[in-house]
Amino acid sequence: MNAKRAMVVAFLTLLCATTTQARIKLVALPERAATVIRLDNPSATLIEEERVLTLQKGLNKVDFSWKGVQIDEDSIRLQMLEHPADVTLLSVSYPPGESALVWEISSGGDFAETVRISYLLSNIDRLITYKAVANKPETLVDLKSYLVLRNFSGEDFAKARILLDYGEAFEQGISHEETKQMLFLNDPNAPIRKVWKFDAATLPWDPTKLENQNVGIPVSYEITNNKAGGLGGFALWGGKARIFQQDGHGGTIFLGEDNAALVPVGEKMELYIGDSRDIVVTQRKMREAQISIRRNNSEQVVLYDTDEVITAKIENFKDSPAVLTMIQHIPGQWDMEECNMKYTKKDAGTLKFEIELPARTEKGPAVKELTMHYHRRNVRP
Amino acid sequence: MKRLISSLGVLTVVAGVAQAKVDLTTLPSRDTVQLTIYNSADMTLARESRALTLKTGANALQFSWENTLIDPTSLEMLPKANADQIDISELVYPPRVKNLGLWNVQSKVSGKVPVEITYLTSGLTWRAFYMGTLTQDEKTMRLQAYVRVTNNSGEDYENAQVRLIVGKVHILDQIAELAQRQYPYGRPGEVRPLALPAPMVEERQKALGRVRALAESAIAKPKEIVKEGLSEYFLYTIEGTETIPNGWSKRLLSFDIDGVPVINLYKFEEERYGSSVTRFLSLKNDEAHKLGQTPIPDGILTVYRSADEQKHLSYEGRSSFKYIPVNEAVELDLGAVADVVVEPNLIETRTDNYRFDNNRNISGWDEIQVFSVQVRNTREVPAKVEITRNFAGPNWDLKRSDEVGSFEKVDLDTVKFTVELSPHSKQVFGYTLTTYHGVRAQEPSKKSR
Repeated sequence: MNAKRAMVVAFLTLLCATTTQARIKLVALPERAATVIRLDNPSATLIEEERVLTLQKGLNKVDFSWKGVQIDEDSIRLQMLEHPADVTLLSVSYPPGESALVWEISSGGDFAETVRISYLLSNIDRLITYKAVANKPETLVDLKSYLVLRNFSGEDFAKARILLDYGEAFEQGISHEETKQMLFLNDPNAPIRKVWKFDAATLPWDPTKLENQNVGIPVSYEITNNKAGGLGGFALWGGKARIFQQDGHGGTIFLGEDNAALVPVGEKMELYIGDSRDIVVTQRKMREAQISIRRNNSEQVVLYDTDEVITAKIENFKDSPAVLTMIQHIPGQWDMEECNMKYTKKDAGTLKFEIELPARTEKGPAVKELTMHYHRRNVRP
Repeated sequence: MKRLISSLGVLTVVAGVAQAKVDLTTLPSRDTVQLTIYNSADMTLARESRALTLKTGANALQFSWENTLIDPTSLEMLPKANADQIDISELVYPPRVKNLGLWNVQSKVSGKVPVEITYLTSGLTWRAFYMGTLTQDEKTMRLQAYVRVTNNSGEDYENAQVRLIVGKVHILDQIAELAQRQYPYGRPGEVRPLALPAPMVEERQKALGRVRALAESAIAKPKEIVKEGLSEYFLYTIEGTETIPNGWSKRLLSFDIDGVPVINLYKFEEERYGSSVTRFLSLKNDEAHKLGQTPIPDGILTVYRSADEQKHLSYEGRSSFKYIPVNEAVELDLGAVADVVVEPNLIETRTDNYRFDNNRNISGWDEIQVFSVQVRNTREVPAKVEITRNFAGPNWDLKRSDEVGSFEKVDLDTVKFTVELSPHSKQVFGYTLTTYHGVRAQEPSKKSR
């Protein structure tokens, strides 16, 4: 560790002949043996460094101070590696107004003791980014993931072992204010599923009522973190993913980007790339009436059911087929009197339809029409 | 392409020596550049090919991007030959140096290696716009589509292959903001302010001379634009290469089709357009309309009409229209007109079928309204008129008084009448609207479904 600028990990072995305020420091700057930067927890970075302390039999005071770096004081730990039975950390004291602490160590002999100091260091972290290049038919992606190390901690690490939450540690140096981007995952043929999704709760129902606006149907890619996809070895960290597609002319086009969430093994990564304006959904409510009305003695309605009809026309203007996932919502207690398409209930009030749309023909777009005739039950005004 | 990656060079790293001290050995030239420009976001994918001279072992490639609007996190370099012999292992953004990066490359081969460098940049935009010219009888229209490409990227792109993307791309960050960051990936924990690109005005004067020179050597035939679908987008590839200096725009013809059949469509809907009739041009993006090859990107259409035999023009209106998929119909709003008139008149109103509650208060009733709607076309061309009527709720019945035109229930509280009028003609139709109030609305036998 280069202590030029910052984190002067100065080790001061203090002569503890007196207990007076004046801290006479005898500096013995021990060489660092090994440094590990642990990046396995995304919320904080743990530094572990090994040094050799020259300890005398009896009480020793070791001063650990830093400058220009941000260390979580409470996170600092000291571990004896060679004589844990004979060397005991008695106390830790924090001098006023200093970025420092003093360890009081009892030693059973004169030892050159290797110790490991661990602490949480701020402003050093890692990001994950993804670059996926889909093939032209959009069935496979070449998925690459990059590890981006960012060091703004104030400390130069000339050489350190870097540990992620899986895989082998690797050696890498990184200076203060330096950013390094490294390829760390390359999965050339991960299968993908392309998904179009219309959610009636979030998208406008009737595009003809909008002034010159298209309603884009969100399009996503699904990549499964499993062996079949060449993945499945570990959870995929969240990060920004940029998706490209081969253009058939030796180049690519940029399809879109999304923030991938952390994907545990076996789960799906869903990347929203953009909107399709070639699938058009026109949803309308064709009937809404109160039935089975019950009244109190004052003739006020106290309970009723509803009779509702919703239609949704789905048009595919694309020259290729597509499967549209349509989400419909019916609140409260309800039953379906008639529905011309199959659905699954995602929860009590959410219906999911998987609607297969053929490609458009010369005659026009492929059209399917959903009709839901349902009753909401026991509604109170 | 003068400034960008201007100091691209292969450096040979001497073992044990800090990278900042290595010497520049060669400077490769750029061979080709391709620009894929998006219009839904300020973003362009640039792809350029260069030939690097590599030595066996460790090589460091330095590049810089000062005064440009490129996103350094998007930089990627791929070898186009000997890919298994060349390992581009890492990209380093060194400390305390701005707009500079180092690629560390391990090579098992020495000599010239073609590479492809891609990155995203901002400042290049394009938009579509249209000119429509109606014939005198307004039955057909000549539709000319243009694209206009503008370069405010800070770079002069010379002899670039230009491609345009039609589509709505989802992006998280503005490229211009990424380009102006102090550190490419930011700092841990920092909150990023949103910055907007500043057009680089001073560059325009310099570019002026180059454009003049180019204009003189311009070719006579307009360039063709090849269109193809990719994923949810359409890719327009402009024939040949283009030179667009910084600060300049270029207009290119996308298509020019004569004789597109159009329908003069007039709409009346008080809640939406007020008491005036709004004129639309209705057409369809299909073969019957001499279109239908590709979707039509959104843009502004300016409509003219041939006014006389001498080919003078009259201005008819301007409409912005949305993206039109293949086979979809479109209605172009040309604004309010006074020469087609719709007058809905309430000619009779009464109430009936009162219901009373236990306290003898009114709990329900029917409201009966008789309407007569007069539609007048004072123009010299035929007109199709759609009259939309919105009601307060779903509890109503409508009885037509005649069979003039056609009638459609649009949804639970909307109906539409359509009438077609010949030049200088008038039509009248009527209907009776019964609206059920209070408990009358809850008597299912009394109203239609």
